[in-house]
Amino acid sequence: MRGAQPRGAVIAMGALLIGLYVFLYAPIFYVIYTSFAADIVWPFPPAFSVSSYVDLFDSSLYGEALSNSLVLGLGSALLSTVLATGGAIGVLRYRSRWRGLALLLFLAPLFVADLLIGISTLAFNARVLDLPGNMYSAIAANAIPGTAFAFLIILSQLVRYDWAMDDAAMVFGAGPLRCFLEITLPIIWPCLFGAFLISFILAFNNLEISFYNLGAIPTLPSVAWGSLRFGLGPELFAMAALVNFIVFAIFAVMYVLMRYRIVQFGYRG
Amino acid sequence: MSARRRAGLTHRPQFRFACLAGPGAVFIVVALLLPLLSIVVFSFWRTQSYELYADWNLNNYRSLLSEPAYRIFFLRSLATAALVSLVCLAFGWPVSYFIAKHGGRYRLLLVLLLAAPFFTGVILRVTALQGLFGPIGLVNMALAVFGIGPVGVLMYTPFAAGLGLVYLFIPFMVTAIYLSLVNFNFELLEVAKINGARPWRAFVEITWPLNWIGTAIGLVLVFIPCLASAVTQRFLGGPQATSFGMSIGQQFGETGTWALGSAMGVFLFLASLVVILVVRRTIDLKRSGFTGALGA
Repeated sequence: MRGAQPRGAVIAMGALLIGLYVFLYAPIFYVIYTSFAADIVWPFPPAFSVSSYVDLFDSSLYGEALSNSLVLGLGSALLSTVLATGGAIGVLRYRSRWRGLALLLFLAPLFVADLLIGISTLAFNARVLDLPGNMYSAIAANAIPGTAFAFLIILSQLVRYDWAMDDAAMVFGAGPLRCFLEITLPIIWPCLFGAFLISFILAFNNLEISFYNLGAIPTLPSVAWGSLRFGLGPELFAMAALVNFIVFAIFAVMYVLMRYRIVQFGYRG
Repeated sequence: MSARRRAGLTHRPQFRFACLAGPGAVFIVVALLLPLLSIVVFSFWRTQSYELYADWNLNNYRSLLSEPAYRIFFLRSLATAALVSLVCLAFGWPVSYFIAKHGGRYRLLLVLLLAAPFFTGVILRVTALQGLFGPIGLVNMALAVFGIGPVGVLMYTPFAAGLGLVYLFIPFMVTAIYLSLVNFNFELLEVAKINGARPWRAFVEITWPLNWIGTAIGLVLVFIPCLASAVTQRFLGGPQATSFGMSIGQQFGETGTWALGSAMGVFLFLASLVVILVVRRTIDLKRSGFTGALGA
């Protein structure tokens, strides 16, 4: 497989990838660094303190915001993944004259900006359904783009799935559910995991959709938005740093699992 | 209905298709299309002191089209979105190619590393960018050490806003191209090489056209949110970067003119639709290599 391109090009592309990581993570490390700074407005030269972490654990608002963000992210990711899995399997496996329409509907949210989803669901909930801001609306509204992204991820991974295996199981008498749980799921779980993770991330920290749907319920991004008037609170930096430590820890575990081939995450080759 | 007939029904592909794809399709119609339809309706109504009144009129569209400020905001957002998409494309392609071809068993991890910054909220990341590029930020402080004055272009300019948008949306571009490339048969390039094609020609004639759908999806995924973006410009752009999205947010927030905001939303949606249709025209399913799998 190798050798189709000159070595120099490969090295240049690798360097570009590293450059992109540096670009993407520089602000993240800045947030972590600032969370330990004594003064977040003038963080240079360094003067370290853990006061923002002390403030974070003293305040109840941030814990509530974090748990709301988690509920929103998990609920929305679950809804998105379930709907998208059904959609992707249906579209790939069964011939139907509605297939084109289903494909269009599942991908449609990709073509609507978050801001538009936010304002239109706000207008619909407030003026048509007469609903105040609530968590369920926010979960549903966040699951709109979540479903589309999950669908795209699952579809692109399942394109090469061999449905003859499922047919074989059915021939031997397995029902559709048992067939899915015992044949399909063990093979496709990494891509469902990827879809779940992406839709979780998108909902967890969504500002524009959640802002218009949650009313007064605080989530991490809405607390950040609300505190802007007085300047971002140092607690927010501490909270973001803690979230990132957890994410880095998960990635480190994934790396070890991949390094020693304990879990392949769908990679075969 | 007899048990046998019911068994026959549940075995029909049409029925199974409806069970699998139906819930999601209904969800999209109810949660996305109905609200969009409602703002289309509201865009023909009237707002007065924060209340919507159902007297049908075209005034919202009239003021949207006649007010020069809205035109400037829209054209500015359009130009920004186009430039940002192209920059993301130029940097995204080589990166995705590298991950898909040379990422080996770490491919998934490498892609997820691009998504991980999303765990930190947009506001915090944009504030951090401000902290890095701003007048008292790390970049300008470092330059000052070498005796170079602060770089003005990084502070509160449309360029800074554009850089912020590239920062926020390039992961979408890379992921879309990557998802296309993992399904691409790299052995085709070996065949091209054996037949004497140079790497560049093989790329132009094989890799690029066969992955154009993924690339087009990536372009749309970056373009659409950039066209509507508000937060980035607000923090990084300074006074010269007021965007269409900021203006829409204002109608639904401070000024409470929901009807005008709805009209602006509809206009934004139509503009996105035009872009999607243009991109759609460039997609030739027969040449994409996708139909084989989808039609099977």
